[in-house]
Amino acid sequence: MSERILVVSPYPPERDGLGAYAVQQVRALRRAGNHVEVCSPRPSAAHHHLDLVGPTGARALARLARGFDRVIVHFHPDIFYAVPSTPTSRISTGVALAKAFRSMPPVEIRLHEVDARWASASEQVEASTRSGFLAEGVFAAAARATRSVFRGAAEITVHDAGHRDLMVEAFGVRPDRVRVVEHGADFAAHTTVDRATARRSLGLPDDEHVFVCIGFVQPHKGFDRAAAAFRGLGAKGASLHIVGSVRVDDPAAAEHQRELEALEAQIPGVHLHLGYVSDELFDRWIVAGDTVVLPYRHIWSSGVAERARLHQRPVIATRVGGLAEQLDDIPGSVLVDDNAGLAAAILAAVKGGTFRSADTVPATDEARAGGWSFDGAVDRDAVMAEVHRRSAALRGVKVDPTAGTRAPRKGEGSAAVPLRRLRHVPLPPATSARPGVSTVKKLIRRVIAWEVDPLRDQVTRLHEAAIQAAETTDARLEHVEHEVEPPVHD
Amino acid sequence: MACPKSASAPRYALALVNDRRIALVPPRYGPDVIGGAELVLREVAHGLTARGWEVEVLTTCARDHHTWANHYPAGTTVDQGVTVRRFPVVQDTDGSARALLTSTMDRGEHPTIAQQEAWMNDGLRVPELFHALLDDAERYRAIVVSPYLFWTTFAGGQVAPGRTILRPCLHDEREARLELFEPLFGGVAKLWLNTDPERDLLDEIWPAHSPAEIIGEGVPVPDGYDPVGFRARHGLGDRPFVLYGGRREGAKGWEDLLDGFARTVRKEDVDLTLVTFGVGEVRPPDDIAHRVVDLGLVSDQDRDDGVAAAAAYLQPSAMESFSRTVMEAWLAGTPVIANAASAVVSWHCDRSGAGLTYDDDADLEQCLRFVAEAPGDAEALAKPGRDYVLDNYTWPATLDRMEASLEAMS
Repeated sequence: MSERILVVSPYPPERDGLGAYAVQQVRALRRAGNHVEVCSPRPSAAHHHLDLVGPTGARALARLARGFDRVIVHFHPDIFYAVPSTPTSRISTGVALAKAFRSMPPVEIRLHEVDARWASASEQVEASTRSGFLAEGVFAAAARATRSVFRGAAEITVHDAGHRDLMVEAFGVRPDRVRVVEHGADFAAHTTVDRATARRSLGLPDDEHVFVCIGFVQPHKGFDRAAAAFRGLGAKGASLHIVGSVRVDDPAAAEHQRELEALEAQIPGVHLHLGYVSDELFDRWIVAGDTVVLPYRHIWSSGVAERARLHQRPVIATRVGGLAEQLDDIPGSVLVDDNAGLAAAILAAVKGGTFRSADTVPATDEARAGGWSFDGAVDRDAVMAEVHRRSAALRGVKVDPTAGTRAPRKGEGSAAVPLRRLRHVPLPPATSARPGVSTVKKLIRRVIAWEVDPLRDQVTRLHEAAIQAAETTDARLEHVEHEVEPPVHD
Repeated sequence: MACPKSASAPRYALALVNDRRIALVPPRYGPDVIGGAELVLREVAHGLTARGWEVEVLTTCARDHHTWANHYPAGTTVDQGVTVRRFPVVQDTDGSARALLTSTMDRGEHPTIAQQEAWMNDGLRVPELFHALLDDAERYRAIVVSPYLFWTTFAGGQVAPGRTILRPCLHDEREARLELFEPLFGGVAKLWLNTDPERDLLDEIWPAHSPAEIIGEGVPVPDGYDPVGFRARHGLGDRPFVLYGGRREGAKGWEDLLDGFARTVRKEDVDLTLVTFGVGEVRPPDDIAHRVVDLGLVSDQDRDDGVAAAAAYLQPSAMESFSRTVMEAWLAGTPVIANAASAVVSWHCDRSGAGLTYDDDADLEQCLRFVAEAPGDAEALAKPGRDYVLDNYTWPATLDRMEASLEAMS
């Protein structure tokens, strides 16, 4: 029987991972004959848009949901909770959202991400600087409110058994209300080209082993880990392509971009392709690749893995979130536990190694070497030079891979050193042995934070920019010196 | 809860894939819609229908591109064999994101992706049209979206990029360089361009663009002209006039043209009237108001008679991707005076030899003096224009190129 369904999610043409997922589900539901309307948190191609943050958002959603047979909520905390959230805001939002979910037609929460600590008072206490009876009471109430949101839904759908267990054990949702659905159940291919055509269109050589890291460029995606693991493989007929766009309005992502650019400059074979990636281009990169690399630091589940499955490309991934379960039936896929394992898996792939499905690759000595290699004897100068080059990359300084590998001699100046030794402006500790003073200090900090924090942030940014400028100058000077006076090896 | 299957057969399953069914997605559509790209798509719709293609137009209920008010009723109608599916425009945002992007770019700063996305969604949106494409994309051999800057094109062009043809009507404007548009220019199956200069611009702005073909567009060739009747119908007397037809607005260079014209005629030795038709407010300066005649909207026949009666046709827009009115002028044997800032129109003038271009008011004054003071030479100048249009821009040749391009799509 046809149903009236409300889907709540970010939505195209806004570019968003959840939106890309939701639109495929909407298409499938509509093609099954249902009447589907979409509500997005910002204006989009959705039929409705509402600011869904906080209790007001929850109430507005409850009003909108009237008249539908059921509601599917693509849940990400940022859609409903203030960012950053506080325990008190989680109480007010959680209570309102739970009430809304209970009053609405049956709600399916399709869970994409939630912080498991929110369901536990003790874990929130551990993660917080606050303590004491009052704080514990607030955290307990926040945890109850968060759990009630998920208990208020008629059904929770998750992408793997681990998340099902989490919902049942940590959030107290009845087991019969949690269902595992395939992440890629509604996915359709966005390209029909073959590997050779895809490579030609992207300017990739036919005969290289092409590794692809793709998706929004964010620190937690760990693309820097893949680049570091790739050291030394550029000369072995392989290339690593990091493809994606950076939310330039996210300072952490912008800083991460500088780090990746520096890694690209210093590791032959690593290529950065930053920019808007359409669905079609996204799939074309997957098709062009031999291996998709997902070196995530943390993730719930991966849409990229599903695109790889769709196009039958093996995946090398870190064992985080639900990836182990997701990769279980993707042929040739590999799980790794650390950076050395990642390097081993990449190296093995270049050498043509094959793995059983979702194998775990142990680190090898070669991989553990992490691409450290030196011309001639390994001496302190050479090691320190390489250390400096790599640490410079972490700070976003581009260093030519062909530049000298000599550490500065004693007494030689480095413009950046005095700046690097300067610590970031610290927050004075809001503590005191005297009774009550800590509370007063914390209160004062809260009161003046709106004025002081931006200044502190700006000083920090100036500090980082000064280091980067000085190190770039140092690197250029070293390059010039290298050109004028090539190093003499003993 | 499992997704229930409909007991009744969904219409999507019943809709058989027709190998010769295409969708056209213009932001507006109709006989009374003023806009070059919209007009061309309507002629494409009729032309391809006449050649046996099943053409569906998916468009909005709007007629006016300033207000985007829903003017036509939503639903499906048939326009000379073309199925027209109209969807209501939604405008419920406050315009602040648009203002922010403009002010950011005015300051010389580059807006963030988030700002660009907010800008795109802070105006007209047509969710029902988006979902109609989402439902039906596979029913069409191709989906032609145009022009690039509109929400209908941006959102609709990304639903099924593998079967989407973007007809961008690209101009050299700062919005064309927003990363937001990369999926359109780089992700669709192919692009249909009008001219070589448009391809040059595309190569410059989006070097990794999808395969592009120069398809051009056609201009109907009138059976005849009645310039005398035109003068009589509008009481224009014997004074020679120059003509501008289309949207009277800043984006089309109307205000600059009016300034330049006013500066020239204030010298009182240039005997010309400026006649104009189309949409938008004319607003001539008081002292030259008697030298500016606004005819408002005119019929196609009146338009053709008007260009034939004019001493010259004026094209003040710097943002042209084709300029249909220039072609209409040349078909009528009328010389063109055009803003040299438009690479496309300059290219047409250069190739045809039938038009003059100006870079500033001093140039414009001299061009106006030429047609006023040497009408015979101006007429001779226009002579090669008609052959240029007939050789390059008739509908049969354009539709041949379009059909070949469509048939090449798998």
